Amino acid sequence: MTHPRIARRSLLAGAAALGATPALGQAKPYAGQTLNGAAFQSTFFEYLRGYFPEFEERTGARVNFNTQAFPVYNQRTDLELSTRGSALDVVNVTFIYSGRWIGAGWLTNLSDFVADRNRTPADWDAADFVSGAQSAMTNAQGQTFGFAWEAGAMLLAASRADILDRANQPMPTTFDALLAACDAVQGRESMTAFVADRLHHWNWIPYLMGMGGQVFRDPPGNLTPMLGTPEAIRAAQWYADLLSKFAPSGGLSFSDDQAMRAQMSGRSMFRTQAITWLVPLAKHEESTVKSTVRYALMPAGPQGNYPGSNSHGLGIPAGSRRKELAWEFIQWALSKDMLNRIVRTHGYPSVCRRSVITGEAFKTALTLNGQDVASLYLQVLELGGRSGYMKYRTVPVFPQVGDTINRGIDRIATRQQGAEAAMRQTQQDAVQVLTRAGVRLDGG
Amino acid sequence: MTSERRILNLLALALAFLAMAPFLWLLQMSFKTNAQVFTFPPELFFTPTLENYAALWNTGFRQSFLNSLVVSTAATVLPMLLGVPAAYALSRWQARAASGISLWILASRMAPPIAFTIPYFLAYRHLGLIDTWAGLVLIYLTFNLSLVIWMMRPFFDQLPRALEEAAWIDGATTAQGFWRIVLPLAAPGLAATAILCFLFAWNDFFFALILTRTEAMTAPVAVVNFMNYEGWEWGRIAAGGTMVMLPVLVFSLLVRKYLVHGLTGGAVKG
Repeated sequence: MTHPRIARRSLLAGAAALGATPALGQAKPYAGQTLNGAAFQSTFFEYLRGYFPEFEERTGARVNFNTQAFPVYNQRTDLELSTRGSALDVVNVTFIYSGRWIGAGWLTNLSDFVADRNRTPADWDAADFVSGAQSAMTNAQGQTFGFAWEAGAMLLAASRADILDRANQPMPTTFDALLAACDAVQGRESMTAFVADRLHHWNWIPYLMGMGGQVFRDPPGNLTPMLGTPEAIRAAQWYADLLSKFAPSGGLSFSDDQAMRAQMSGRSMFRTQAITWLVPLAKHEESTVKSTVRYALMPAGPQGNYPGSNSHGLGIPAGSRRKELAWEFIQWALSKDMLNRIVRTHGYPSVCRRSVITGEAFKTALTLNGQDVASLYLQVLELGGRSGYMKYRTVPVFPQVGDTINRGIDRIATRQQGAEAAMRQTQQDAVQVLTRAGVRLDGG
Repeated sequence: MTSERRILNLLALALAFLAMAPFLWLLQMSFKTNAQVFTFPPELFFTPTLENYAALWNTGFRQSFLNSLVVSTAATVLPMLLGVPAAYALSRWQARAASGISLWILASRMAPPIAFTIPYFLAYRHLGLIDTWAGLVLIYLTFNLSLVIWMMRPFFDQLPRALEEAAWIDGATTAQGFWRIVLPLAAPGLAATAILCFLFAWNDFFFALILTRTEAMTAPVAVVNFMNYEGWEWGRIAAGGTMVMLPVLVFSLLVRKYLVHGLTGGAVKG
């Protein structure tokens, strides 16, 4: 990949930012070294790659940063970390693997780096990262193993607010209001009222929690599954009805991208999903709903509002032999200055530093179809950080339990089983996979 | 043509169409833009574009395609060179140990590939074979060798020994008998075995995923790389999928006469 031309002024600004780092007081302290990094493909790293020459010029190190597809990256990195390899110096700490990677001791404790003023200047300001985004990057003792570069905050988006207006429907703020709005718009202009992707273990959980249910009894300490409770059965029935009544034909097997495109083409009205998949409705060149899209917080259930939030961070493998250089890279890549530049230049919508999110550049980037979506984004991230309700998702065994949830919701939505039978089956399956994984459960 | 025959022909055509439908769907998708892919109802008549293929050419996919070609060819030729003489030797060896040895040769096929992942990964990392052509060829060789021996042995078993013996009486050495008499008669079996070896190496995803990074990444893994976190590049995935299928299709068409004969030929011992 060729690097874009870097303006002299940008280069000087970057050099100045790096110059503030104590370890870089001497000239090119890492000359001759190669920093090996890996992450999954994302626009953030495409943008960041354009600035690598600045880092290389200042430190003397060469950056070899590979990005791969999400599943490819996770599979390879899981293997690399589990065998304590030294091939990588900087890795993306994937949200769903963070509990496993941190818990197993495969990542370096960055709290020591942050606390050391010789390594980290005070104005780098680690506390500036939003708590909700950072919660997946810490262990039970509060030590930090990664710094978030991306956060997903679940919002509600309506692709054709003009149709809603004509139907006298406001943006729904409760589950009941969402149902009423779906009823009002279903079939109008050949549109389905709702669309979701097949990842029910992400999409359904806010509805489960909104109705008073939960996935585990008290994660991460007590992982007894709670999927056969009356609340879980009611929430599963409610969500499966939403899908079977209002989702497009074949919608149960939609990928993220298919669901996004159903909204972008104006074929589906509502979706509750992370901001990454909702911003393109207002910005993607192929979107036909740029002038009609409207955003709101995820609707609340009778027991509260629990929009999903997640984050991905940069961390250092325990086996890395160039930890100092890796930390320099993380500081540089996630500095206020760099993030502000990426937001200003590219409109990147998912940063995790509060000072950047509340800044003018981010507000401009996330003013979508005249709406201040930046403030909605911050609200969701703070909500996740305050009560820690997303902890269910970073426990190492969640991927297996998530699979059982997917199958359970599928069985209900396709009418293969009633909600009660399906969720009791899901509970049994979850107990089985957790027991097999050696997790101690209540009553076990 | 009787009406019954016509109906059977129509049914055969319908079945062929059904079997080909996923491939045809993929093919037409590869000539559409992302916007056209998601047009609803789907357009069957549209202005085709080559932009997805052009995009493949301009990305790392070109190198991955070359990697697949080199690795699969080597992983076909090497096991054939080693495995065919071995199968012949086992076929003609009249000791009791022959069947035991044949069984041990199958050992590499007795466990699922995932069981070998960690040992292979650690050994390869130690030997510096991660992300190299040699590393991939070596692993495919271990799996294909048993396939070649087990597929070719029945072919040799069914060839009358009298033919070789006649050649020996005429002054041919064992090697000459094998090369000039036995091998030409086993040509259908060689073709079928070679294509299965090629298919195994060409279609492998798992080992290529684990044991490569960027330099030796093969085409099936490269196609998955079009599934980005923030959206999938459907047109490129379809074009990449078509390109991945193409060499296998061409190779199969070229040797289809031998393939059909070969796949059934070794099944009955003469």
